This record gives sequence, structure tokens and C-alpha cells, in this order.
Amino acid sequence: MIKKVSINAIQSLWLPISLVAAWWLFSTNSEDPFFPPLSVIWDQFVLLWVFDNVPIHVVPSLINLFSGFSIGVLIGLVGGVIIGTNQGLARYIEPSVDFIRSIPPVATVPIFIMIFGLNYEMRVAAIAFSAIFPTMLAVIQGMHSNNPTLLDTAKVFRLTPFQTLVRVRIPAAGPIIFSGIQVSLQVAFVVTIASELLGSGFGIGAFTLIATDTFMITDAWTGVILMGILGYLVNLVFNLVERRALRWYLASKKLS
Amino acid sequence: MSTGKVIVSAESVVMDYQTPTGIKHVLNDISFSLLEGEFASIVGPSGVGKTTLLRLLTGLMQPTSGTIRINGEVVTSPPPGLAVVLQDYTRSLMPWLTVEKNISLPLKRLGLSKTEIAETIELVLTEVGLRGNQKNYPWQLSGGMQQRVAIARAIAVRPQLLIMDEPFASVDAQTRFDLEDLVLKVRDDFKITTAMVTHDIDEAVYLSDKVVVLYGSPADVKEIVKVDLPYPRNQVASRGREEFAELRTKIYAQVRGLQ
Ligand SMILES: Nc1ncnc2c1ncn2[C@@H]1O[C@H](COP(=O)(O)OP(=O)(O)OP(=O)(O)O)[C@@H](O)[C@H]1O
Ligand SMILES: [Mg+2]
Repeated sequence: MIKKVSINAIQSLWLPISLVAAWWLFSTNSEDPFFPPLSVIWDQFVLLWVFDNVPIHVVPSLINLFSGFSIGVLIGLVGGVIIGTNQGLARYIEPSVDFIRSIPPVATVPIFIMIFGLNYEMRVAAIAFSAIFPTMLAVIQGMHSNNPTLLDTAKVFRLTPFQTLVRVRIPAAGPIIFSGIQVSLQVAFVVTIASELLGSGFGIGAFTLIATDTFMITDAWTGVILMGILGYLVNLVFNLVERRALRWYLASKKLS
Repeated sequence: MSTGKVIVSAESVVMDYQTPTGIKHVLNDISFSLLEGEFASIVGPSGVGKTTLLRLLTGLMQPTSGTIRINGEVVTSPPPGLAVVLQDYTRSLMPWLTVEKNISLPLKRLGLSKTEIAETIELVLTEVGLRGNQKNYPWQLSGGMQQRVAIARAIAVRPQLLIMDEPFASVDAQTRFDLEDLVLKVRDDFKITTAMVTHDIDEAVYLSDKVVVLYGSPADVKEIVKVDLPYPRNQVASRGREEFAELRTKIYAQVRGLQ
């Protein structure tokens, strides 16, 4: 067990550790104002983010991300279930959904600025909007790929439509739905940062942009690193939730 | 074994499938009936329409013409009092539910209390020899055990009628014998009228009171063979009897179109 954990750790950590080490090494004597030594960036990082600026820059970003993501995923789930259970409806709606989805999410931010102005509502709306589609399409696809034998079994045992949905169809689509939610999360993170680049004084995106504009290059670098760390942590939390919810799926795959 | 009351009747059932290349005429004119307590097998060559007939009996599909009645009522959707066991247990049990949740899912609608549900689960798992497996997931069990769970789930709803499509086709020979005897026992303990599709003619003779032989394309009922082997049946003694050999030879020839 311990052996397995340490092998896993080596497998996943060797590359990032090597890259950081290389960066550290090659930047030590850097005089280039745009590429300060990593040691300098690190000192500044600790100064800024442990934990003085967390309340004004990290917390707002995370609140935006969480609110927008939750709203978007909820709409995606409900919409996906409604469209996924109505074959007829799906044919009318899916092409439009496909079209909207192919607009790069970041490109919709200006539209939300026009509608809401430069404020909190605009950011959450833009994040939510971007999070809807990956989840919704995954739910539709998951419901359509429900195994016919399973649906027959539900019918013969006279499950109610609600039972069939909640106990059979949605769990069966669980693995596909979760991969859709994960994409929603990633897109929502990108839009969270992008939405802060305009007209905001708070948030990591805003911090990094302002730092760049005022030639505080080292500060900007700390912002970039912070985004990377946050993105990684958010994904990590998601993976833990997923692993818990799909335990049956992961364990049954391991056995077969 | 039978009280003479008709539970299932098929009357001049015709089934056509619409396919991209035209209409496929599968069942020509199928009529038979099943009395209370009877065990009937449906046999016939591969692709003759056995599964089709079975899906019609369960109300999952409607015949092109003719009628299926269960308890005298025309079947238009799966009726209450029906349970099924399918060949593909890996797809008919829900892998995200434990054994006990799989069994209790159809029970929730029957208005049973929590204790009654738990008692029923205990009872049916004991019946199929899987006591104590309540908290296991289906995929933690062997194929034969999973099919036992499917049988337990079926009898838990106290069905009047049990319909099975090649229930033992995916398990090894020894498990198959065990499951056949389990079905005989369950049927005896719970007095369930049973219809089963099988490829295995020996199995059909061993388990049944009557064997419905389908043949032809489109299929007709070639013959309904009565099986008078005495009860209780036994894998060694029943299969060793002279009537057993005669019946199986006869049905074998019919399925092969030799008679
Ligand atoms: N949904 C369908 N659409 C069109 N044709 C079908 C459909 N289902 C079955 N058939 C055809 O109907 C015929 C009978 O199929 P069915 O599955 O009932 O046979 P079977 O006797 O159960 O065969 P097997 O012994 O292989 O299980 C086959 O020729 C099959 O190709
Ligand atoms: Mg079949």
C-alpha cells in the first residue's frame, strides 16, 4: 500500500519537480526584467499570497467561480434531463446547443458586459453561461446511451418515471455526466479569470493584469503561478468528489 | 401442478418488424396458453423469434395483430404481478446499487414498510442461497450468483407470472444445473406460473410441463409437447428416464426441422 502510494507520487511528481528545478536553475542569474529569477518570484509570492492578499483577490475569484459554476451546472443538469428524456425535443434543440457551445466561452464576456455592465452579476452570469453547455450535452449523451436492457428492466418492474430517472437513468449516465461537469469546471475557471480582466480591481485576473500594466513583472508572475495552483487544487477537489460518487463504477471496472 | 385457470394466452399473434430494408415477418400465427402453476418452455432454432414472443408476453412490445392476455386482460404494457429474469444479468442488475437496493427498488411501489422490505430481502436471498450478501455489489459476485440475485429480485415482488429469457445461457454447466434446480424449488415454494425461453432442449424437458416448439420463417407453433415426468424432479433420475430421452429426441428433431 505505502509502496504503491510512493510509486504513484513519483509517477505524477517527477515532471513538475524537474521543470521547477530547471526554471530555478536557469533563471538564477537572469537580468531580463521580464524573466526575473524564480527565487525572487518565490519570495514575492510568499510575501503577497501567504496570506495578505488572499481576502481581496483570491476569495472574490473563488466565490465567482463557485457561484457561476454551480448555477451553470444546475441549469445544465436540469436542461440535459429534460432534453435527454424527450427524443423529439432533442432533435429541435440539440443543433442550437451545438452552435452556442462552439462559441469560445471567453468571447461571450463582452456580451454579458453589455447586458449587465461591469459588475459582479456580469461575471457570475458569464461563468454560469459557459458552464451550462458541457454539462448539458453530457447529460443528453449519457441518457441517450442508457442501455436498453436496463430500461426494459425498469419498465417490467413498473418503476415510476421518477424512480426510473433518479435510480436508473441518471446513475447509469453518471460517468459521462461527471466528465461533462469536469469540462464545465475547467471552462468556468477560464471565464472567471477572463471576466476579471475588464473593469475589476479585485480577483487574481485583475491583480495580474494590473501588475502587468504597471510593470510589476514579478507580481504578475506570482499571479500566474497562483492561478496554476488554484486551478490544480480546484480540479483535485473535483476528482475527489467524482471518485466518491462513482465508486461503484471505478471498482467494477477494476474487477472486470 | 395446475388448477386449470388460464393465466397467459396468446391468440393468433403476428409480429412484423419494420426494418430499413422492408417489413420482416417474424411470427406468423402463434397461439398457446399457460395455466396457473404451469411451467412452459419456448424452444426453437436461433433467430426464430423466441425473444420476440417473450417481449410480447411481457408487454414491452405490441403484436402487429392478435392479442396477448394475462388474467384475461389484453396486455398493452407490463402488467402488475409480472417479473422477468433476462440472460444478460450484467445489464439487468444495477451496478450502482447493492444487492439489497437492487431487490428493494421494485418493492417500494408495493407499499411495503421498511421492515417488511428488509424481511422480504432476507427471505428471497435465503431462498436463492445468498443470505448475508445484502451489502455486496453485483459486480463483486460471480455470474451464477448475480443470476441468483436477479431471481431473488424477481420473486421478491411476489409475482404471479415469471418470464425468463435464456436465464442460464451465460453460466458454466455445473452452475446451470444448480440454477435449474433453484428454479424448480422457487416455483414450488412460491407457486409461480413460469414461461422460459431456452436453447437447451434437455433443460426445457427437465423443467417444463409443456414445451412450445417454434419453427419456420415466419414462425408458427410447430407443436406443444406435454411433459409428464413425475415430480419432484432430479437431475440424475429424471434425466435418466426413458420418457426423457424420447421427449428430447422428438423435440430435437422438430427444432431441426426433421419432423
Ligand atoms: N428490433 C428488431 N428489428 C428488426 N428485426 C428484429 C428486431 N428484433 C429481432 N429481429 C429479427 O427477428 C428475428 C427473431 O429475433 P429473436 O431475437 O426474437 O430470435 P430468437 O429466437 O430469440 O433468437 P436467438 O435464439 O438467437 O436468441 C430475427 O431474424 C431478428 O433478426
Ligand atoms: Mg433470443
